[in-house]
Amino acid sequence: MTSRMGRRVFVVGVGMHPFGNQGIPATDMGYVAGVSALDDAGVDFPEVGALYNGYIGGGITAGVHVAKDLGLTGLPVTHVENASATGSSAFGEAVHAVAGGRVDVAMALGFDDMNRMGGLGRSGRRGLGAEDVMLPAAFFAMWATRRMHEVGTSVETFAAIAAKNWNHARENPMAQRRADHEVTVEEVLASTMISYPHTSKMACAAGGGAAAAIVASEDVARRLGGPMIEVVASQQRSETYTDGHVFLGAVIGPAQMTRDTAADAYEQAGLGPRDLDLVQVHDAFPIEELVYYELLGICGDGEGDKLVVTGETSLGGRIPFSTDGGLTARGHPGGPTGLAQIHETVVQLRRAAGQRQVEGARTGLCHMAGAGSVCVVHILQRT
Amino acid sequence: MVPTDPHLFRLPADGEDRPRLLGSYAPESGLHFWPRRKRCPVSRTPVRDVELGPAGTLYAWTFLHVPRMGKVSFGDTGGYAVGQVDLPEGVRVQAPLMGSQQDWSIGDQMALTLFPVGTDDDGHELVTFRFEVLR
Repeated sequence: MTSRMGRRVFVVGVGMHPFGNQGIPATDMGYVAGVSALDDAGVDFPEVGALYNGYIGGGITAGVHVAKDLGLTGLPVTHVENASATGSSAFGEAVHAVAGGRVDVAMALGFDDMNRMGGLGRSGRRGLGAEDVMLPAAFFAMWATRRMHEVGTSVETFAAIAAKNWNHARENPMAQRRADHEVTVEEVLASTMISYPHTSKMACAAGGGAAAAIVASEDVARRLGGPMIEVVASQQRSETYTDGHVFLGAVIGPAQMTRDTAADAYEQAGLGPRDLDLVQVHDAFPIEELVYYELLGICGDGEGDKLVVTGETSLGGRIPFSTDGGLTARGHPGGPTGLAQIHETVVQLRRAAGQRQVEGARTGLCHMAGAGSVCVVHILQRT
Repeated sequence: MVPTDPHLFRLPADGEDRPRLLGSYAPESGLHFWPRRKRCPVSRTPVRDVELGPAGTLYAWTFLHVPRMGKVSFGDTGGYAVGQVDLPEGVRVQAPLMGSQQDWSIGDQMALTLFPVGTDDDGHELVTFRFEVLR
C-alpha cells in the first residue's frame, strides 16, 4: 500500500492568504496565495508544469478560473477534493507529479470558505434523515467521552490542548483566531458548550483562506537556492475494517487509519517518531490531537494526557504540535488547511518562524484526516 | 407513518414493539454490517440481507447543544444526544439517543425506538429511529 517516489522532491515555495471571516471570494484569496508562493520560490508561472487545486466549496472548474488569473500557459489543471484533507491530497498529487517525472515543477493551491459550503453528501429526506444529525462535532465528541471512560481523561486536558493552540496562534499573522491575551484553560471551559465535552473554543475555527506550495525536482531546487526542504514521505490511505466499524455517520474512518498511514510514512522516510521536531495534525477538536500523539507514535497508548500536563507538545517542549495554532486557532477553511500545515512546516524548517520558531527544527510531520475516509501524512526534512 | 430512511430501518411489524435495522451478513467472513453492503468489504464475497437489533450496549455518547455545520434546527428542544451502540452481532450503530445526558452511562443497555420528525408531502407522519435506555 505504501506509495513510492521515483526521484527526490523539494518544497521551493509557500504562500498564504490569512485565514478568517473577511468576506473575500475564495478564488481571490487563492490568487494571492498562489502569487505569494511563486514569489517565494522565485519561479515564474510558465515554469509550473502542473497545478493541483484543492477546494471543497468552489463549484465546478473554480480551480481552472484561478489558473487563468495566474496565467494562460496551457498547463494541466486538476481539481482535488478530499474534504478536510483536500489541500494535503492536492499537495501529495503535486509531489508525485514531480517524483514520477511528469513535471519538474508542480503547484498545489487550496482556497475555500467553510461558511459557504453545503453539507456532506446525504441520503435522508428533507435533511431529516439519520445522516443529517451526525455532525462532526458529535462524532469527535464521542471519541472524547469514550476516552474519558477508558483512560480517565479530564475535560481540563481537552481545554489545555485547545488553550495551547490558541496561544500558539497569537504569534501567527496568518491565523484566524489571534487572542490579545494568554488564553487559559478556564476561559476555554467557560465558552459555549457545542457537543459535550467540547466547547466553542475547543472547536476548529471555520472561515475562509488560501494556501499554496510549489514543489520541484532536485535540479530545480538547487538552481533556485535557499534551504533544501525535502518531502521525504508522502502517504495517503482510506480505511480498513476494524472491530466496531462505523459505516453511517462516521465523519472519518477508524483511528487506526492514522496509525497505518503514519507507519507508511515513517517507513518511506526511514525515520521514526523520535526523529520529529514538530508536528501538525487535524486538531478539529482537542480529542483528535490527544489521540494522534499516540497514533503517530509520539508516546504509548493511553499516555497522551501526560504530554499535555508536562507541556511537551507546546512550543518550547520536546515535540511541539500545531505550532501555528492548528485547526483550532489558525483555522480550517477546508481546501487550504492541509497546505497551511505545509506552509508552517516549511517556514519552521527554514528557521523563519519568528516568535513561534522551534529551535533547530529539521524534520516536521503533517497529518490530515478528511471526512469520508481519508488520511494523509507528509514528512518534510531540511537536508 | 413513513420512515425517513427506508433503506436503513423498518417500522415495527405486527406483534413487535420496536423497529429493526436493515443490515447485511457475509457467511464467508461471518461479519454483519449496517447499513446494507453490496458485498462483504473484507472478503469481497456475497452478502445477504438481515435485520439487526433492536437492542445493544452504549459504547460512546455526546449531547449536541449547537448545530455546528449542520442543517437541523434544534428549535426550542435545547439540543439532542447522539450515541454509538454495539449490537450483539458485532455492529456499531451511530444514532440519536432519547433523553438528556443524565439518563445513561457507557455500558447501558439501549433499544431502538421511533421518533417523529414531521410530515411528508402527503401529510403522512415521518419517523426516524433513535435509541433509548432500557430500564
